[in-house]
Amino acid sequence: MAATIPPPPPDPQFVLRGTQSAVHALHFCGGAQAEGRPLLFSGSQSGLVHIWSLQTRRAVATLDGHGGQCVTWLQTLPQGHQLLSQGRDLKLCLWDLAEGRNTVMDSVRLESVGFCRSAILAGGQPRWTLAVPGKDSDEVQILEMPSKTSVCTLKPEADAKPGMPMCLELWQANSSPRPLLLVGYEDGSVALWDVSERKVCSRIACHEEPVMGLDFDSQKARGVSGSAGKALAVWSLDGQQALQVS
Amino acid sequence: MAVFDTPEEAFGVLRPVCVQLTKTQTVENVEHLQTQLRAVSDTALQELQQYILFPLRFTLKTPGPKRERLIQSVVECLTFVLSSTCVKEQELLQELFSELSACLYSPNSPKPAAVSEELKLAVIQGLSTLMHSAYGDILLTFYEPSILPRLGFAVSLLLGLAEQEKSRQIKIAALKCLQVLLFQCDCQDHPRPLDELEQKQLGDLFASFLPGISTALTRVITGDFKQGHSIVISSLKIFYKTVGFIMADEQLRRISKVQAKPAVEHKVAELMVHREADWVKNTGDKLTILIKKIIESVSVHPHWKVRLELVELVEALLLKCSQSLVESAGPLLKALVGLVNDESPEVQAQCNKVLKYFADQKVVVGNRAFADILSESLHSLATSLPRLVNYQDDQGKFCTLSLLLGYLKLLGPKVNFVLNSVAHLQRLSKALIQVLELDVADIKIVEERHWNSDDLSASPKTSAAQPWNQIQRRYFRFFTDERIFLLLRQVCQLLGYYGNLYLLVDHFMELYRESVVYRKQAAMIFNELVTGAAGLEVEDLHEKHIKTSPEELREIVTSILEEYISQENWYLVTCIEAEEMGEELMMKQSGLQAITSGAHTSQITSFPAFSKPSPTICSMNSNIWQICIQLEGIGQFAFALGKDFNLLLMSALYPVLEKAGDQTLLISQVATSTMMDICHACGYDSPRHLINQNSDYLVNGISLNLRHLALHPHTPKVLEVMLQNSDASLLPLVADVVQDVLATLDQFYDKRAASFVSVLHALLAALAQWFPDTGHLGQLQEQSLREEGSHLSRGPATLENSTTAEDIEQFLLNYLKEKDVADGNISDFDNGDEEQSVPPKVDENDTHPDVEPALPVQIQIAMDVMERCIHLLSDKNLKIRLKVLDVLDLCVVVLQSHKNQLLPLAHRAWPSLVHRLTNDDPLAVLRAFKVLRTLGGKCGDFLRSRFCKDVLPKLAGSLVTQAPISARAGPVYSHTLAFKLQLAVLQGLGPLCERLDLGEGDLNKVADACVIYLSAKQPMKLQEAARSVFLHLMKVDPDSTWFLLNELYCPVQFTPPHPSLHRVHLQGTTGQQNPYVANVLHLLRELQ
Repeated sequence: MAATIPPPPPDPQFVLRGTQSAVHALHFCGGAQAEGRPLLFSGSQSGLVHIWSLQTRRAVATLDGHGGQCVTWLQTLPQGHQLLSQGRDLKLCLWDLAEGRNTVMDSVRLESVGFCRSAILAGGQPRWTLAVPGKDSDEVQILEMPSKTSVCTLKPEADAKPGMPMCLELWQANSSPRPLLLVGYEDGSVALWDVSERKVCSRIACHEEPVMGLDFDSQKARGVSGSAGKALAVWSLDGQQALQVS
Repeated sequence: MAVFDTPEEAFGVLRPVCVQLTKTQTVENVEHLQTQLRAVSDTALQELQQYILFPLRFTLKTPGPKRERLIQSVVECLTFVLSSTCVKEQELLQELFSELSACLYSPNSPKPAAVSEELKLAVIQGLSTLMHSAYGDILLTFYEPSILPRLGFAVSLLLGLAEQEKSRQIKIAALKCLQVLLFQCDCQDHPRPLDELEQKQLGDLFASFLPGISTALTRVITGDFKQGHSIVISSLKIFYKTVGFIMADEQLRRISKVQAKPAVEHKVAELMVHREADWVKNTGDKLTILIKKIIESVSVHPHWKVRLELVELVEALLLKCSQSLVESAGPLLKALVGLVNDESPEVQAQCNKVLKYFADQKVVVGNRAFADILSESLHSLATSLPRLVNYQDDQGKFCTLSLLLGYLKLLGPKVNFVLNSVAHLQRLSKALIQVLELDVADIKIVEERHWNSDDLSASPKTSAAQPWNQIQRRYFRFFTDERIFLLLRQVCQLLGYYGNLYLLVDHFMELYRESVVYRKQAAMIFNELVTGAAGLEVEDLHEKHIKTSPEELREIVTSILEEYISQENWYLVTCIEAEEMGEELMMKQSGLQAITSGAHTSQITSFPAFSKPSPTICSMNSNIWQICIQLEGIGQFAFALGKDFNLLLMSALYPVLEKAGDQTLLISQVATSTMMDICHACGYDSPRHLINQNSDYLVNGISLNLRHLALHPHTPKVLEVMLQNSDASLLPLVADVVQDVLATLDQFYDKRAASFVSVLHALLAALAQWFPDTGHLGQLQEQSLREEGSHLSRGPATLENSTTAEDIEQFLLNYLKEKDVADGNISDFDNGDEEQSVPPKVDENDTHPDVEPALPVQIQIAMDVMERCIHLLSDKNLKIRLKVLDVLDLCVVVLQSHKNQLLPLAHRAWPSLVHRLTNDDPLAVLRAFKVLRTLGGKCGDFLRSRFCKDVLPKLAGSLVTQAPISARAGPVYSHTLAFKLQLAVLQGLGPLCERLDLGEGDLNKVADACVIYLSAKQPMKLQEAARSVFLHLMKVDPDSTWFLLNELYCPVQFTPPHPSLHRVHLQGTTGQQNPYVANVLHLLRELQ
């Protein structure tokens, strides 16, 4: 049995210490957005969001806006200086970070107690779109921000029964301005929604277990999803907006 | 003052005297005249000038031999007249000039006549006075071509005197006079500057004398140093003033091509010089030879004023004659540059001033010819440098390097022209590397060891503006003079300041990597380059030079730093692997104390696998130096970057801290001072502050290195130091590292247990200190103990005095309670304890929002550590066992408020601990007793019964069986293991009994076992220890102890207070043979 022992994992460059509780969300903010000072946001179980400077490798600020409840999702807006955080306290906070401020500008009340993380679609414009898990267990709600007006609610057809949405990905094809939404469901399927027509374009069942995460490359029209069953599925989108497992 | 104010009066007085003198020319008459003259006012004298001069001149002119004394007095008298009057007629001036000069004329030789020194001096002064007394206009007309022969005679006369006379006074006077003759007098009597035409006229005239003057002066200047500095200074002054006047670019520019026909006779015209281009070229060439000679001689002149004058010379000639003397410019600059680092501050300052002036005026940088000359000189110097530094002595090296430094200063940013030439850069770097080679034969450096950790809270020295100036003295192979090292550093700093830093760093980095031979020197050069590039100590002559930007500098420093602290350049072999043996020796020598206090002894030195089989002393020395230089470099980088260095701390701090704990004294010293430098640069109060503020960076380094423990065997030590120097805020950061440490310990417990146990010790000590027992529990218990104790110790006293019913009742109740407890009936105590111990008191910081209360981190850690201790208690190595016992002790302290966690662990540790108590080295026994004592304080009830059951019988048994042996033993017995064991048990028992609050039966067991040792037959030490046991027993149960002691020996007879009571009779025999007398009496005294 010539079992080759796998080499030990490489050394980390640096371990950022000091959150004092488990980290549940990470978001990297680098490049032009950070103006040469790359930042890393971490959301901890104790409800704190730490902002790490990757230059000094230290926490530069701590945001406390979720009442001690676990922070599950973090996302900066393209302009920088603004951060969205979602917590288990069913609140989505919009933080103003410009010029060293760290105040909650706005917050959105979530209706779903599930684990589904939100998603945004934002260009350079002041208006942007936000997808959050909706009130009913299988719904996804689309909001226009920053006015918080509800655009629509995406509810699967009655006979589909995909269960709860587990993860969301909002995106836009290069060719058309219509926002599209990829949703991974509890039953292991991934569905592509046309948000403006409020209908499912395509849906594939690629996992046995609930989909825990997905990502999609709109350039290559390919995506990947992972499930609670420890399996990854790679799929692509053809010209007819149909998902295919590849 | 003057008696005769009017010419008439004066005439009346002077006339007879003058007549007398004309008739008979004697010294007396001349002196008589001079006496009379003193009484005449200047105005009157001026009127009568011609009249008075007549008899004097007549005397001089009279043909025939004259006595020197007479001539001298005449000349002196003449001088007196001239000094008070003006010469207003050109003819008179000419005639007087000729007559005076003729006094020293000897017809046979060109040399001055052989006359007395006094006369020579008088004539020289006469000439000087004459020239001063002439009216300005007349003086100018005096200098016409026709005067040339006479002037020439006088000039050569004076030069001859200056050169050949013995008397210093005459020489100086001659030079002064020459200065006056050549129109360069610096006194205040010549207010009018010459206009261009006049200048040209004079220049033309003097040009004829230039060869003579310049050669003669050169001979004087380059003459013996002993002739005195003032002569050389004057000569230098005349030289450069004359040359600067005749060869002035400004004059020469206006000279026409064709010589104007002078209106003089042919013979004189032949003497005239026309200063056209050819003449200038030829003269310039010849002057260059002379100037070189002068520079060569004067630049090493011992007197600083002479060298200062040389600076003036260079300045004057370069400013005035840069075209005409273009050939000399090189040597002149070289002289100037060489004096930049003169030992005299005056010369240095003047030199710098001149250089700065040149730079400001763009004389050097702007003028193509000069820049070329400098570059060329630097090129040629760079070419010859390796050769020069090889064979020159210290003085020569000093000069050469001064020169190099000067060129760099002058060239400024243009130095890059030279650096960009690969060949020259190579030569330059080779020379630097070569001359910086260290002598690494000093054996002391390897020998000196560092054991104790320094106090890290010391604040950086206030005078640390240039921190590394107190660097360790180092010895170089090729020079010993400290000044040379300073020069080299300056050279490197200037290179860093002006040169292309990227180019230089790249170049030296290649050398650094190329060979170990170059590495130390290259590192030294890096350090200085960076310091220079930061521009902190560089005196800038070129104001418009753009410095390296801070960002660039930081990048460069980062890359050098990476190289420095890379595995192969930082972890070098600095001591032999046989070190471990040495440690063993150390241990034996320092004996017991070393174990209790010496944290160092537990550090095991082992080296990475790549270490060479047998490093020589030299190579280890070399390695030590390399590490030191690199450490110093880090300090210098910090200094150069200032606050910016903070960003580099994440990579630099860990290695430096590691070296601060190095065993080699030199390294640890240098590392400590590097820490100071960093503190200073980044604004920390002390190294402790530095460590505290950057513990996250350090923890990262530690956790990374723990992953490769074989390569970084000292990592646990760093953690230890850090724990010792931090506070509770560190705990969240190290929590995961501690888990790593424990995991690694589990993996390597056989090999590296020692270093890890040290870490655990430091960790638990820190925990115990950071989280002092906030629980009221321990305090309460102790308080009650104390109450009981004090009450009981009051016992006998109260008995003797008035014993109230309450007292007796209280006593009885206490007694019953104790008895109850001793019998193991401890239910009510338990209840109380549990109630109090349920809510673990937790720091606010550590409260988690979780619903279920988690254990505080420190408790979790202490539990994990205690778990390991249980296994390590039986380690083969005594040192480790001792250390583990200490750790265990601390674990108990930390866990004391968490009974639910502590008790199960104590239960598991028990068998091993019993083994230590009953069957181990005396040292371990003592240490185990200490643990038991702590345990007893924290969980006494749990322990009491077990102690009485498992331990006490064995200990008591062994004490009893050993007693007869020790009683009979001789003095050697105290060196045996048995003795030490007895002693340890006796010393340990007392405090423990008190702490455990043992019941009566068990106390009796203890007392019975120890009582034998109160015998005077026992060794003294054992008696003392036994006494201490009883002292402790007294505190627990004074009455029974009293009784027991009295049973042994009863010093007094007790008479009952009432005859109806029985007579008390105690067994203690009163005979003199009773061996217990002394100790019992002693103890009873204590009990009173």
